Amino acid sequence: MRDLLRDLMDSASTRADYADVRHVRLREEAIAMRNGELDELDARDEEGFGVRVQLAGGWGFAAARGSDRAAAEEALARALAIAENQPRGDSQPLTAEPPAHGSYVSPVETDPFSVSLEDKLALLAEADGALRGERTVKVALAQLQSRFEEKLFASTDGALCEQRLTECGGGIEAIAVRGDDAQTRSYPASHGGSVAQAGWEHVLALGLATEAPRVAEQAAALLDAPRCPEGATTLILAGEQLALQIHESVGHAVELDRVLGYEASYAGTSWAPVGGAGSLRYGSDAMAITADATLPGALGSYRWDDEGVPAQSIPIVREGVLEGFLSNRQSAAEIGLERSGGCARAEGFARQPIVRMSNVSLDPGEGGSLAELLDGVKHGIYVESNRSWSIDSRRLHFQFGGEAAWEIVDGRLGRLLRDPVYAGVTPSFWGSLDAVCSADEWRLVSFTDCGKGEPGQLARVSHGCAPARFRDVDVGAA
Amino acid sequence: MSATVELARRALAQADDAALATVTRERSTMLRFARSRPTQATSIDDLTVEIAVLRGGHVGRASTNRVDDDALAGCARASTLAAEAAAARAGEGHYPGFPAPATPRGHHGFDAETARLEPAIGGNALAAAFEVAERSSEGHGRASVELGGIWTAGDVETAIACSSGAELSDRVTDAFMKTIATAPSGRTGYAAQAAVTAAALDPAALAERAIAKATSPGEPASLEPGAYTIVMEPQAVLDLLWVLGQTAFDGLAHAEGRGALSGRMGTRVVSPAINLSDSPRFHATLPRAFDAEGTPKAPLPLIQDGVAHRVVHDTRSAAIAGGTATSTGHALVAGGQAAGPRPVNLVLIGGGAADEAELCAPVERGIYITRLWYANVLRPTDSLFTAVTRDGTFLIEDGRIARPLEDMRITDSALSILSHVQALGARSVLTCDGELYGRRFATGAVCPPLRAAGVRFTGSATRA
Repeated sequence: MRDLLRDLMDSASTRADYADVRHVRLREEAIAMRNGELDELDARDEEGFGVRVQLAGGWGFAAARGSDRAAAEEALARALAIAENQPRGDSQPLTAEPPAHGSYVSPVETDPFSVSLEDKLALLAEADGALRGERTVKVALAQLQSRFEEKLFASTDGALCEQRLTECGGGIEAIAVRGDDAQTRSYPASHGGSVAQAGWEHVLALGLATEAPRVAEQAAALLDAPRCPEGATTLILAGEQLALQIHESVGHAVELDRVLGYEASYAGTSWAPVGGAGSLRYGSDAMAITADATLPGALGSYRWDDEGVPAQSIPIVREGVLEGFLSNRQSAAEIGLERSGGCARAEGFARQPIVRMSNVSLDPGEGGSLAELLDGVKHGIYVESNRSWSIDSRRLHFQFGGEAAWEIVDGRLGRLLRDPVYAGVTPSFWGSLDAVCSADEWRLVSFTDCGKGEPGQLARVSHGCAPARFRDVDVGAA
Repeated sequence: MSATVELARRALAQADDAALATVTRERSTMLRFARSRPTQATSIDDLTVEIAVLRGGHVGRASTNRVDDDALAGCARASTLAAEAAAARAGEGHYPGFPAPATPRGHHGFDAETARLEPAIGGNALAAAFEVAERSSEGHGRASVELGGIWTAGDVETAIACSSGAELSDRVTDAFMKTIATAPSGRTGYAAQAAVTAAALDPAALAERAIAKATSPGEPASLEPGAYTIVMEPQAVLDLLWVLGQTAFDGLAHAEGRGALSGRMGTRVVSPAINLSDSPRFHATLPRAFDAEGTPKAPLPLIQDGVAHRVVHDTRSAAIAGGTATSTGHALVAGGQAAGPRPVNLVLIGGGAADEAELCAPVERGIYITRLWYANVLRPTDSLFTAVTRDGTFLIEDGRIARPLEDMRITDSALSILSHVQALGARSVLTCDGELYGRRFATGAVCPPLRAAGVRFTGSATRA
């Protein structure tokens, strides 16, 4: 395959200004149980070439399945043809990049594909059964997923590198139903549970069956819980809800293609201007955000991005001030950066690389433990699991909802509250951040369904965060 | 016999019994543009072979995009092992069996010219739109309006071979173009068009409509949160229908008592003016002959004269619902999608208003909405959702569009909004969101513009 890709790039170098190719082989498995029955058992195996060319300022990308030379050459011909038939545009230079060479394998203790189906189903059945102990829980869901991606990248710049990434994880969910009301609780998170760039050891550490009775009990209790009260109050976000807040209001907003207007037709633009780096007040002094593609175990980690740029750790916000953006070779060149931020990622072989988040995380603060963070709150709300999310196309105005909330009274968690929502405007919300817990409370949260691009691509990312406290936030009930 | 049917047969032959093989071949082109220049161009030629195997009421599935015998055998083996393991662990499941052979009706959803995917057609479409943008700025001595958007066309062929004896094939094309114009002021306008044929798309007209919205005169007004009368273009109505597809018509959620229509069948749930169906061969839809299990597509009334009639089912959700429920031909994957079945050919019947201007005429003060963005369900049991307006929001005053309006956040129940519909437009159009994740499966709803009263807005979506 290496020879094939080298030959293809040799051929492309005489016909295009720039070209790259990825051969990707993907293996995925998704297993879910629902109320004691198999809900889903999908195995997917696919491979193919994605060839991208730049020609007279225009781009062409073509995808073809398979692994043989004819498929690769046909994809190159199609990429050239589609590029040639575009209206002529301005030249779009790329940042210079030393050609990537080498190979990388993500660390795995136990290959999730080596674990038998029987063992996986047994784990799910145990968790599923433990969810169904509550009378009002009408839907019990338990799911596992495993993924292996092997990709070989080559370019007309002379790059040739290979990486193999393994991921797995899972989660559980209970839906309690009574009358015309339904309430959901999930663990460890609602968006596909917790998935890590790791082996089966990650699934075992989740303790799905152990947590299931608590999850079911909370789902049932939500049916009788009072609605989250309305008003401005102190809000503590943790876990998945804080990760989503970072993802939506920071991660997407600092994608340089959006900032430059290249995603206006779908994902949108950004409230953060290009010229804001170094001066734009994004939040309070307690806010520090880093995009790190080298984080062990995180879904947005890799050795090279899909343009062959090495993974990096990039400061995004420091002491509340915007410092940098997520970029690829084209967007970085457009704003005069010397080097790409290494954030070009593609879903599988049949989509082209676009600017994507790596692992955009809230750095730990000095707030101590969660108990210490709570201690500073006379009255407030604590939210940790996400139920709904909506944000405008500039990533400025948002409204997010949690599965459940807990009232905070005199520094302690109190009553369970249902249907919590909160709303805000990005810079003022982050400006209200007054403390972040310390490193001991910092955890990775995964999202496996981040949509962007046309045709659509689902990206897998992680966000690290420790519980954080925001003052005077508008909260209420859906 | 087509190559996809032959491949489906070969795949089925690798499974022992009680199996269904599906081959889906996608050929597509997607051209993106931004700032009035081409930015990305994607050409896809790929296929998926999926084999679903049934054992003890459980369906295991495996898929591959390789077509050699070894790969097909491996795929069949994986799905069989999966189904057998599930049957051994979980006992008898609900799935009753793959549908018996049936003959679907033909449709008008394929266009041979579109299927050629001639690269120049899309390129010319972009050039035509750019020319309109350039013309719109000529002589004004000012910065240009910039266009962004996509032009896309696809050819998708699906073949099913099933151990029940069913052998089916279908081929559809779809084309879609959207334009978002950004004026020097930063205001934006949107226009989109979808059809079975690429030739039906009118790039220049789309660019003109989008530019007219972005450059309409006047400084944007702002409104306080509250309840307002709205006039929605069909693109915004599509989002309401999407919410209902997620919350109200999903037969699995309904069977589990967590649907927005649970306990409300046969009762009036929206305005008597609302007649909503899933009609796979209705004029202007993106038709399909059968669903993912081979069940033929057929019209299904969902709401008639405001009364809830039916929800959609795949084989599994119908089995869970029990009673007389059967598949309505809405399986998205063989064996049933975990998230439940969905309507994919919604048709909302129009009313008597000639156009959006006539819908605005009785409105003293209200909000004109071109489209919604980031709609997300807050509480499924009553179809409560939130979204923001985008790309063409206007203040209606004294019966006409008075001036641009800052974007607003809408938070209301889709059923409640349809309960307060006062009038519907006479002209229904095919609306799509153009989101094509995974294997291309273009869907849309045919709907008219509408006017509804008392719709709840919870804040601005513009001011910093």
